[in-house]
Amino acid sequence: MIPLEYELALAGILFGIGIFGIIYRKNAIIVLMSVEIILNAAIMNLVAFSSYAINPITGDPGGQVFAVLAIAIAAGEVCIGLGIYIVYFRSRKDINLEEATRLR
Amino acid sequence: MFEYALLIVAAPLVAFLLIIIFGRWTRQGGAAIAIAALGTSFIVSVILFAQVLGLGALGAPVSEEVFKYNWIGPIEFGLLIDNVSALMMVLVSFLCLIIGIYSLGYMAEDKSKTRYYAEFVLFTAGMLGTVSANNFLQFLIFWETMGLCSYLLIGFWYEKSEAASAAKKAFMVTRVGDMLLLIGIMAIFASLGTFNIVEIQARGIPAGALMHVIPLLLFAGAVGKSAQFPLHIWLPDAMEGPTTVSALIHAATMVKAGVFLVARSFPLVAASDIASITVICIGGFTAIFAASMALVAFDIKRVLAYSTISQIGYMILGLGAAALLFEAGHASHGFTASMYHLMNHAFFKALLFLAAGSVIHAVGTNDMRVMGGLHSKMKITSIAMLFGALALSGIPPFSGFWSKDAILHEVFVAGEMYGAIFTFIWVAGVITAFLTAFYAFRLWFMTFAGKTRGDIHPHESPRVMTYPLIALAVFALISGMLAVVIGGFGHLVTFGGTVHEGTMELLTEIFTSPLTYITLFAAVAGIGLAYIVYCKQRVSSEIFVSTSVGRGMQKLLQNRYYLDAAYRGFALHVGMGIARAADWFDRNVIDGVVNGSAKLGLLVARGSDAVDRKGVDGAVDGIAYVVTGSSNRARARQTGQIQAYIAAMVMGMFVVALIMLIYLSGGW
Repeated sequence: MIPLEYELALAGILFGIGIFGIIYRKNAIIVLMSVEIILNAAIMNLVAFSSYAINPITGDPGGQVFAVLAIAIAAGEVCIGLGIYIVYFRSRKDINLEEATRLR
Repeated sequence: MFEYALLIVAAPLVAFLLIIIFGRWTRQGGAAIAIAALGTSFIVSVILFAQVLGLGALGAPVSEEVFKYNWIGPIEFGLLIDNVSALMMVLVSFLCLIIGIYSLGYMAEDKSKTRYYAEFVLFTAGMLGTVSANNFLQFLIFWETMGLCSYLLIGFWYEKSEAASAAKKAFMVTRVGDMLLLIGIMAIFASLGTFNIVEIQARGIPAGALMHVIPLLLFAGAVGKSAQFPLHIWLPDAMEGPTTVSALIHAATMVKAGVFLVARSFPLVAASDIASITVICIGGFTAIFAASMALVAFDIKRVLAYSTISQIGYMILGLGAAALLFEAGHASHGFTASMYHLMNHAFFKALLFLAAGSVIHAVGTNDMRVMGGLHSKMKITSIAMLFGALALSGIPPFSGFWSKDAILHEVFVAGEMYGAIFTFIWVAGVITAFLTAFYAFRLWFMTFAGKTRGDIHPHESPRVMTYPLIALAVFALISGMLAVVIGGFGHLVTFGGTVHEGTMELLTEIFTSPLTYITLFAAVAGIGLAYIVYCKQRVSSEIFVSTSVGRGMQKLLQNRYYLDAAYRGFALHVGMGIARAADWFDRNVIDGVVNGSAKLGLLVARGSDAVDRKGVDGAVDGIAYVVTGSSNRARARQTGQIQAYIAAMVMGMFVVALIMLIYLSGGW
C-alpha cells in the first residue's frame, strides 16, 4: 500500500507545477492546462484521503465520487475557458496573457 | 378741501418722467406731453385760485395746509395754499404754458427737443413746488431743483463754450446764496424745532442775535436766486440759453422765487429792523445799478436781463419798505404792491423776452446794432414789444405803471417816517424809472425804428409764436387795470391788515398824488430822450461820450462796474489758493490716512493668507498627498495582468497557510 505521504507529496508537486505554470507561462492555453493540473492535484488529495478513510477495505466512497464529479466539472470548465479564448483570439488575434490587460 | 392742488405740482413732475422715458418716440420730442401737463396745471390752479378767492374775499386770507405727509420726525410735507401761493401758481403755470406753446415754434428745428421739454417741465415743477411748499425743507428741495434746471437749460447748447461757462457761472453764483439760505433754514430749525412755514410765521424767531441773522441769511438766498447785487452777475450771462429759457427764468420762475422767499419769510424780515433796512438798501441799489448797465448793452437779451434785475430790485425794495413800516407798527401796502409788481412784471417781461426771441429767430443775431427798421417786416412782434416796453416804462394804463407807482409810494412813505436815507432811495427809484423808460425805448427804437443797418432778411414768426405774444400783450395792457377794477390788489394778496378800497377811491388816490406825476414825468422824459437820440437821431448818441466823464462812465458800465472781473480775480487767486490747499490736504493727509488703513488691511490679509496656506491648506494638501502617494503605489500593482494577481494570491495563500499552521500547531 502506498503510504499517504507519497500521495500527498505527489499532489503537492502537481500543485506546485500548476501554480508555476499559471504564474510564469504567457500562453493562455498552457495556463489553462496548468489550471487543470492544479485541479488534478486537488482531486489527487480527495482520492488519497478517501483511501485512508475509516473503512480500510472499501475506504470512503464519498471522496472518490467527489473526484469523479470534480473531473466532470473540470471538463466543463475547460470548455468555457477555451470558448472565452476563442472569442478573445478573434478580437485580438493573440492570446498572450501579458497583453491581456484591458480589464484593468 | 384743496387736495386737488397736488395735481398742479404732480402733473409737470409726471410729465418729466414720461418725456424722459417716452419723449424720443413722440413726434415733437415730448412737446405734447409737456403742453398737456402745463395745461393741466394751469386749469387746476385757476380753479384753485377761484376757490381761494371765494373763500378769502374781503381780506380774510386763506391759509390751509393740504396733503400732509409725515416723512421723518418733525418734517411734515404738504402744500400750503394761501392767497400768495394760489396767485403764484396761476401766474407760473400760465406763463409756463404760454412759453411752452411758443417753444413749439422757437425750438422746432432743435435736435434735442426731448431734453429741452423734459428740463422745461421739471423747471416748472420746481417753481410750482417752491411756491406751494408748506415747510422750508420742501421749499429748499424744489428751490434746488430749479437751480439744477436753470443750470441745465442755460447750458442747453452746451457745445458753445459760452453757454457751458454761463451755466456754470449761474449755478455757482446762486450756490453762494443757496448755501446761506440752507444755513438760515437750519438755524430756524435749531431755534424753533420746525420747518413748517405757517408755524414759523406765527411764532417768529425769539429775540436775540438770531432774530437779525436768520432773515438776513434767508434774504441772501433770495439775493442769489433773484440776481440782486452783489450776486447779480449770473443773470446777464444766462442769456446764452435759448430765449424761451430766458423768458422762463425771468418771468415765471427762478428770479421770482427769490422775491417769493422774501414774501414767505416776511414776518421774520419784518421782525428785524436791520434786516428790513438791508432789504431796502439792496433792492434800491440794485434797481438803479442794473438799470445803469442796461444803458450801454447792445445785446437785445442782455438789456432785458439788466431790466429784470432792476425790476426785481423794485419788488425787493417794496417788500423791504413794507417790512420796515410793519415793524414800526404801521399798515403798509408794500407787500401787496410788490406782489402786484411781480405779477405785472411776469407778464410784460415774458412778453418782452418772447418778442425778443421772435426777433432773434427772424434775424439770427442778438446784436441790436445790426437790427433796425424791423417794424414794417414784423408788425405783430413790433407792436407786442411796444406794449411790453410801455408796461416796463410805467406809462398808464399799461400794467407796470400801477405797481411801480405803488412801490415808490410806499418807499416815499417810509422815507417820510425814517428820514433822509429813504428819501434818497426814493429819488434813486425815480431815476431808475427814467433810466428804465430810456433803455426800454432805446431797445425798441434800435430794433424796430429807422432803417435796417445790417445785412439781415427778417420775416414774421409763425403763428405758434405770435399768438402767445398777442395773449401776453393783452395781459401787459390789462393786468394792471384788473386790480384797479376790483378795487385794489390788496383784495387778492395782502399781509398784515385788510385793505378796503373801491375803484374810484383808488384812482383818486393815485391821480391826486404828486408822486404819481413825478414818476410819470421821469418815464416820459426817458422815452422822449430815447426818441430824440435813437429814432429821430437829432442828437447823436455820441454826445454821451463826448466828455471824458461820459467816456469814463461808458467804460465803467460796459465793464459792468468791474464786478465780474473782481469776482474772477477773487476766484482765480483766493479760490484757487484754497483749492490748492485743499488739494494738498487731500493728497497728504486724507490720502495718507486712506493709504495707511489700506496698508494695515494688507498686513492683516497677509497674516490670514499665511495661516490659510500653511495651516488649513497644509492639512488639506497633506491628506491629499497621502492619498495620492498610496494610490499611486496601489495603482502600480494593478497591472491588469492576471498572472501577477495570481502570484499575489498564491503568496497570500502561503501566508494564510503559514499562520494557520502556526496557530493550529499551538505556537512555535
